[in-house]
Amino acid sequence: METTPTFLSYLYALLAIARGDWRRYWRYPLNAVAQVFQPVIWLTPVFFMGQAFSANGAAEGFAAYTGTTDYMSFILIGTALNNFITAVFWGMGYALKNDMDTGVLESNWLAPIPRPLLLVGKTLSSLLLTAITSASMLVVAGLLFGFRTSGSALAAAAAAIPMLIGLYGFGFAFAALVLVLREANSLVDVSSFLVMLFSGANFPVTVLPRWLLPIALIMPLTYGFDVVRGFLLKTRTLLPIPQEIGLLVFFMFLMVALGLWVFRILERRVRVKGTLGQH
Amino acid sequence: MTAWAIEAVDLVKRFPRKAQAETGETRDGEAAASQRRPWWPFGKKAEPAWFTAVNGVSLGIARGEVFGLLGPNGAGKSTTIRMLCTLLEPTAGTALVNGYDVRKQPNQVRQSLGTVLGGERSIYWKLTARENLEYFAALYHIPPDLAKRRIAGLLERMELTARANDLVEKYSSGMKQRVAIAKALLARPPIVLLDEPTLGLDPQAARRVRELIGELKAEGHTILLTTHYMEEADQLSDRIGIIDQGQIIALDTPAALKELIGQKDVVRLEIANWHPDMDTGLRRLPGVSNLVMRRLESDSLWEVNLQADSSRAILSGIIEGVNQNGTRLVNLNIVKPSLEDVFIHLTGKALRD
Amino acid sequence: MAVQLEPYAPVPSLARDDFPAKLRAQWAVFTRAWTIFRRYPTWVAAVLIWPVIFPAVYILGARALAGPDGRGLAAFVQATGIQDYIGYIVVGTTVWMWQNIVLWEVGTSLREEQLRGTLESNWLTPTWRFSFLLGSSASQLIEMILFLGISYIEFSLLFGVQFQGNPLLALLVILLCIPSIYGMGFTFASLVITAKEASAFVFLVRGVVMIFCGITFPVLLLPEWMQLVAGWLPQTYMIEAMRMVTLGGADLRAVAPDLAALAGFGVFWLAVGFLVFGWMDRRARQAGTIGQY
Repeated sequence: METTPTFLSYLYALLAIARGDWRRYWRYPLNAVAQVFQPVIWLTPVFFMGQAFSANGAAEGFAAYTGTTDYMSFILIGTALNNFITAVFWGMGYALKNDMDTGVLESNWLAPIPRPLLLVGKTLSSLLLTAITSASMLVVAGLLFGFRTSGSALAAAAAAIPMLIGLYGFGFAFAALVLVLREANSLVDVSSFLVMLFSGANFPVTVLPRWLLPIALIMPLTYGFDVVRGFLLKTRTLLPIPQEIGLLVFFMFLMVALGLWVFRILERRVRVKGTLGQH
Repeated sequence: MTAWAIEAVDLVKRFPRKAQAETGETRDGEAAASQRRPWWPFGKKAEPAWFTAVNGVSLGIARGEVFGLLGPNGAGKSTTIRMLCTLLEPTAGTALVNGYDVRKQPNQVRQSLGTVLGGERSIYWKLTARENLEYFAALYHIPPDLAKRRIAGLLERMELTARANDLVEKYSSGMKQRVAIAKALLARPPIVLLDEPTLGLDPQAARRVRELIGELKAEGHTILLTTHYMEEADQLSDRIGIIDQGQIIALDTPAALKELIGQKDVVRLEIANWHPDMDTGLRRLPGVSNLVMRRLESDSLWEVNLQADSSRAILSGIIEGVNQNGTRLVNLNIVKPSLEDVFIHLTGKALRD
Repeated sequence: MAVQLEPYAPVPSLARDDFPAKLRAQWAVFTRAWTIFRRYPTWVAAVLIWPVIFPAVYILGARALAGPDGRGLAAFVQATGIQDYIGYIVVGTTVWMWQNIVLWEVGTSLREEQLRGTLESNWLTPTWRFSFLLGSSASQLIEMILFLGISYIEFSLLFGVQFQGNPLLALLVILLCIPSIYGMGFTFASLVITAKEASAFVFLVRGVVMIFCGITFPVLLLPEWMQLVAGWLPQTYMIEAMRMVTLGGADLRAVAPDLAALAGFGVFWLAVGFLVFGWMDRRARQAGTIGQY
């Protein structure tokens, strides 16, 4: 049966992928519980560490760096955002590796969908799931540690969108790397930890030693975190917010273009070498 | 004190039913025994159902004998052998190995046994052959200078000396198996247990292993061999125990077992394009019993084994009956009964799956 | 074939049962574990990198909390009695990493062998079975000593942490930590074989230690009930004693109560580890677990 693919048919295909992923996830509901409580566990020593540095419940030292004494809300925002980053950034690469390991990559690859769109489809359900688990985590952590925001959540979310789209660009590049190297884990563990470190998920980047600060400043993620916190907590941002948003939009276009380009090149290389089916 | 090197009396092993999947042994026809405890009024509390892997196995193996335990997958061979080497505690029954009780004197049993279980997976791939043997020699409490001599001798015998200092992960399957066998022989045990020793080996490697078994017997070792390859059991064993569904259904020398089939002929057919009527047609021929069919791996050929009082009498009937309805007789052989035929005779099913 | 019925005399093999033979067997387990460990080269990078980057997150967070002019530090000194907040955090996080790695590596050591197929081979020998755990743990301990040594060098060089205090006393503290940590490891190893699943156990324990034992904060800041729980965890005493000795210059008399607690926990956990192992072995013999995967 010959059918010409339309936009609608692509959409249906993406939704089918997303639905499959969604169902598979909920077969192990304990995963969801772990994803909500694991960050809470990791945040507990941070909370009490902050208490150690606080007088009368206010972290004055922290305020001198950031403009707010509420270090926990600062970190919680970072943690929630980091979840999304993980889902997009590494999600596509992992999905690819998974397909390779289970042997379905070749058949998926032959589907009449533009490959980048296939990869995006694989992140759809994980984005929704991340939203759910992050929100739950914020509720639980908020109850335990306190989570207070004063600005507009909508504005913050809107500002985060260019960052996430730009991340897709990186995600394509990383996925292409996984295709070529056929390996995901070792690369990712240390890299994701370092990215989290340098983008300021857990602390203001201004505390980094002088010689490391430039690394943080060239990463678009850093400004993403900064802008969201600027809106929600009224913290002191590295650059004025409009400028940071501008930077994020610029990076968005740059990263997507770059990522797609890298992906096309490496993907063609894999096709030429014929290594798609191996793992 | 018994006369047997290995003696098992009514060995039984039962597993709780949910453990069935773990042991990999499956059996049909085992009734699930979920009952309500009569004194518990609140709801049904099911008793764990029991799966019997070995159901009263008795055997005696004489010193210096090669004994083959032959049976299909899931028959209970692995379970039996594990009870004998003290890895598994019998639910009931007793076993004596080298005169020692497997339950009460397990350490002495282990000292008396050389075992090859799990083939190439039973040795360390990140060690060299020599390192593996040195390690296990120490675990078998062999004094160091003696161990050194034993290891050199075994490496020589297994033709591994040239590569003795390479990591085992670089060896072929056959070489890995030889290391596993060398490990079993380190302590010069009086009794050697070999669980499917040629499984997964190429024909040449398998032949070497079989030759080795012959040599070991000549040196006075007692050998218990489990296999589902009937030619192997036939060729190597002094006596064979046929095991199926956890019980020994026959135990005797290969020759005596084949005589169970009596004067029957065995006809082996290869048929293309099998038609369902074929089955009934063949069975109706006079004197035919124990018809067993198996689809061959290649193409759409079916192999049919049947036993008949006189193959001569039914030969024309077969040829006529088969070449109908689009089926075609590709091959026909009249053979001497093999152990597989004995198995079919005793159980009505094929030895191989 | 006719079979003679004569009295059966057991035929001996070359195995001997004397004590030197048993010692040699134990040594062989250790050398085997260490040899195989050395042949997987990835551990080098892990031992070099993780000691530094794991505490880094907390240290930088603490730096933010202290403030650019150190105004948050006063509160910290009051809460802990220690000025060197970097050293404070480093000690806590290193102990956490140490017990985390031990639980994981020792905890999965038997299961690993089971999956590879060599567990059965070991179980078929007449060697005392607990020595398999002891031997591979001894090898793991050597790896941990390297880990701790490298951590110490890296913190002194990169973070400028000044460890004062009596090095012999510090060594004593470390020695007294070993029985508890490895006793827990033995317990895990047996539970993991029985449950065929490792992650859940390890995540649970490392989560508990992270929350209760004061890895980056003084336990006194915890609410009452949490302090009670912390008192039952040997890691709490390990961290406290190490901090007192290496950062607070404490002498033997000052840390004696903590050391006594550690000694007690050590005996307890070694006993538990040994008993659970025996339980696992008997259970495995009933179910035939050893050969499965």
